[in-house]
Amino acid sequence: MKIGNRAFLFGSAMSAVILCGAGQAAFAKDEVMGDFSGVTLKAKFIGGNQYEPLYARITDWEKATGGKVEIISKKSHFEIDKEIKSDIAAGSTDWCVGYNHVSFAPQYTNLYTDLTPYIPQDTLDKYNPSFIEAATINGELQMLPRAQFDVSALYYRKSLYADPKNQKAFKEKYGYALTPPDTFDQFKDQAIFFADPPNFYGTQYAGKEEAVVGRFYELLVADGGQMFDKDWKPTFNSESGQQALQWFVDLYKAKAVPPGVLSYVWDDLGSGFASGSVALDLDWPGWASYFNDPKQSKVAGDVGVIVQPKGSSGKRTGWSGMHGFSMTKDCGDKKAAASLIWFLTNHDSQLFEAQKGPLPTRTKVWDDLIAQVKESGDTYRGEVLTAFQEASKHAFAVPKFPEWVESTNLIYPELQAAIVGDKTVKEALDDAAERVGDMMADYGY
Amino acid sequence: MKRKFLSPPVLLLLPAMIIIAAVVLVPLLLSLYTSFTPFKLTRPDTLYRWIGVRNYMRLFEDYYFWAAFLRTFVVLTIALNVEMLLGLGLAVLVNKAVSGQRALRTIMMFPMMFSPILVGFQFKFMFNDTVGLVNNALQSMGMERVIPWLVDEHLALFSILTAEIWSSTSVFAILILAGLMAIPRDPLEAARVDGCTPWQTFRHITLPYLMPFMFIAMTIRSLDIARAYDIVQIMTAGGPARRTELLWTMISRSGYVDANMGLANAMAYISILLSIFFTFYFFRKLMAARRYMGGAQ
Repeated sequence: MKIGNRAFLFGSAMSAVILCGAGQAAFAKDEVMGDFSGVTLKAKFIGGNQYEPLYARITDWEKATGGKVEIISKKSHFEIDKEIKSDIAAGSTDWCVGYNHVSFAPQYTNLYTDLTPYIPQDTLDKYNPSFIEAATINGELQMLPRAQFDVSALYYRKSLYADPKNQKAFKEKYGYALTPPDTFDQFKDQAIFFADPPNFYGTQYAGKEEAVVGRFYELLVADGGQMFDKDWKPTFNSESGQQALQWFVDLYKAKAVPPGVLSYVWDDLGSGFASGSVALDLDWPGWASYFNDPKQSKVAGDVGVIVQPKGSSGKRTGWSGMHGFSMTKDCGDKKAAASLIWFLTNHDSQLFEAQKGPLPTRTKVWDDLIAQVKESGDTYRGEVLTAFQEASKHAFAVPKFPEWVESTNLIYPELQAAIVGDKTVKEALDDAAERVGDMMADYGY
Repeated sequence: MKRKFLSPPVLLLLPAMIIIAAVVLVPLLLSLYTSFTPFKLTRPDTLYRWIGVRNYMRLFEDYYFWAAFLRTFVVLTIALNVEMLLGLGLAVLVNKAVSGQRALRTIMMFPMMFSPILVGFQFKFMFNDTVGLVNNALQSMGMERVIPWLVDEHLALFSILTAEIWSSTSVFAILILAGLMAIPRDPLEAARVDGCTPWQTFRHITLPYLMPFMFIAMTIRSLDIARAYDIVQIMTAGGPARRTELLWTMISRSGYVDANMGLANAMAYISILLSIFFTFYFFRKLMAARRYMGGAQ
């Protein structure tokens, strides 16, 4: 899952095309609305270009309900996460509506309350069921997801695949036709084939922190493994885990990725692909518009997008994440808070956000978005939406336990050690599993 | 006569003592206490679970913690020495300038005006392997490979040191320049009359006068570097494979990202040893330098 501010890049072109103006449309006074005159809700939201346009719609909710919203904090993900954790530690939790993310939600279960009693079932049914399931922890619905859903698909340079010389040379070397990869083995072959360091690289990956663990996790799942068994014992050092990590090691050794890849995170990957020095890029939806914008990208007009490749088990990768809104247990007016949360994630709000680039989490919003794009005749955006809609079918969240982020901080240095050759794949994963196992034992798993 | 509970001097000092206790002592004692608990930010009840020295015992057995400790020590030693030498050179050059000295002093202070976060981003970009200025410059001079500045075991620390040294050499330069400007002219002129070479004058007259200023600068910077965080976090985040992990990247990750504030505070208290060592060492040197110059004991 990506925590970042990519998707706003997506929309600059598309928002000009699609101006049906859901934000301006009158919303139906239905579902979880009510009269909240005299109520002031304190809220803590994620800030940033990608996330903030939605908050302009709060005035519509205020007009419709008579309630008021006071945004007492608006910070980047990591800053708001620190603040929320500090609030939990200090017991300063008298605010009502807060930011949440599916990967971090298990850490906040002492803070946020179950939304199920406040949101009717027929309303919940309008969200994609897998997202509601991902937002449910220990049987409690911890958040309602907004249209900020992330899953990766594969971007590629069309011209490389259309080049007859490449097609012939690849067929001779690998024995199969050069088409955008459908498996991670093909992905590796093609990345090595296209690489011409230091001028051009076959692919790239996020190389540090939770980002590299997330990529490893999804490849592990696609290769038939799991991070933990049912008793929360680490199992990522299995054969599947070794196979998954070997993929990263092989690409690094073959110089098919830039040598500095272990210091890369999302921004480096986006700018790398846009610079025209990379052939294949497994990346988030937020980059789509940026990659095809001639003012910002050298590969504009040459970008293809397909569903993410399969691992050795036949399953596709699909590490995903989504942002949402939650309600604190100490909130003084839970009905009003639930109403605001519903409003910020309802059909119109999601369409409003999705028109700017991010992916929606309500089924009908997907349909409406695709219909709008078809009408506009934008084939690239159509290709992007189709690829990401297909990609989202294979999405899965990270394991639901509060120490996920802490465990990634134990795992990623070991993954890096294997990639740079300080340890073998097995040594690195065994060491990581031992450290994570100790941590889990400390927490009573 | 009724006896007063507190004497007037104590009474007058009481407000200051209360303020100091509130803003310094209480947080210090609280953080010390939490280092004896498994305090996790997201589980406030853990603040009240006393686990004795378990956090400290765990850290004493943690190879990676001591590797980070040693690395911080090495970075600190190299950065201090290089900054001191460069700062001395800069100060001597600026002091020689006959005109425009004020402008030069201002320009020299520019790096100090940048936030460490900005410096981190600036050098991260410069040392980027594919689009960075350093590799591009080397390639334009004929180099045919890419140097992974932020990944290689030694080069990554070198890159971080370069950023640290760039941003803070002026601290030394300014303090040493102040020392140069305060040196009395008589001994220098006497040395010239006695036929001393410029090196002899510098070695036996200028340098002893400057030593107290250098040690003050070293004390200040040793405290700074022992807490180095922003630049390292942005450039490498302690990686790859812990190759550039310093104490405060580790402490910050443990405290805020992992929410393990108890363990992080234990790390912080151990790391204070490093600052205490360098401060003690430099103060002893400072006292020795002042004694040498006939100053106060």
